[in-house]
Amino acid sequence: MTTASRNISLPAEWRDFWALTKPRVMSLVVFTALCGLLAAPGHIHPVIGFTAILCIALGAGACGALNQWYEADVDAKMARTSKRPLPAGRMDREAALHFGIGLAAFSVGIMGVAVNWISAGLLAFSIFFYAVVYTIWLKPNTPQNIVIGGAAGAFPPVIGWAAVTGDVTLLPILLFSIIFLWTPPHFWALALFMKTDYGAAGIPMLPNVSGQRVTRNQIFGYSFPMAAVAIAPFVLGESGWLYGMASAILSLVFLMLAFKVWRNEANEAKDMKPEKQLFAFSILYLFLLFAIFAFDRILLA
Amino acid sequence: MTQPEQNGFTAEETRIIRARQAARSRIMGVILVALCVLFFLITVVKIGVWG
Repeated sequence: MTTASRNISLPAEWRDFWALTKPRVMSLVVFTALCGLLAAPGHIHPVIGFTAILCIALGAGACGALNQWYEADVDAKMARTSKRPLPAGRMDREAALHFGIGLAAFSVGIMGVAVNWISAGLLAFSIFFYAVVYTIWLKPNTPQNIVIGGAAGAFPPVIGWAAVTGDVTLLPILLFSIIFLWTPPHFWALALFMKTDYGAAGIPMLPNVSGQRVTRNQIFGYSFPMAAVAIAPFVLGESGWLYGMASAILSLVFLMLAFKVWRNEANEAKDMKPEKQLFAFSILYLFLLFAIFAFDRILLA
Repeated sequence: MTQPEQNGFTAEETRIIRARQAARSRIMGVILVALCVLFFLITVVKIGVWG
């Protein structure tokens, strides 16, 4: 931190390091990873399972820290992110970089030694994908940033699965695909009513580059393959009726909300109720879908 | 009234620095103890004492 009147650095508070890890994002990562771990066939000792989830959480924290290190200047231009430790001047950029790299190395190392090196390799790749491919390369350069970058957020259930089985089969790939195809409608709904914020920061989100009509078409378009992949585990006989019913109902509600977004013609954020509803429901959708899937798999086992 | 300075910091800044250092040290202590316990448990599981 630097004092306002004199250029003197004060050490950052521990709360600022905690904020660097993006705890809210981490909670969704931990949850999907836990569901992947619980849904996997076989047995994992609770201590090793806890270690795997801890490493995935720390890896996600590393991604958040490295993302905030790289985007400090961009974050300062957006109201939503301007209070973060780096743009608010509460922490040195170098400290954030060291913290992020340290967390990444620690989480991958412990995962490899305590769990297995397949899950450690996947964790390392997902951190690299988020920090380098998404944050540094895709996000500032293409409106398709979150489509390809969504892969980074889709890895946790696969890593959770691999922690138990030591391999990656069709079902974890389906879990990956659900999050991968869920990400565009989720983020584009947010980008529609946060368009001004992203525009001010110079981030080429789809609404800023191609317009709101194209974005709404894409949201509705992506919702169909997402729903199909969400129901696929039941269709392929990898889950029971409980998940089959739940995924069908939840996906139907998602499609209805996406349809309302598609029909909406509003240009101002205050008139974008369907977009806000879809964004809020999309989070609930993913939580419920994965929770019921894990529960259903446990019942089947 | 200007506060007296020590090592380039005012008394108030020194108090803030000490408080933050103490808080960070406490958190680090808790994390290190937790990691010691975790590594012990991992070792016990890996060598097969608990199957």
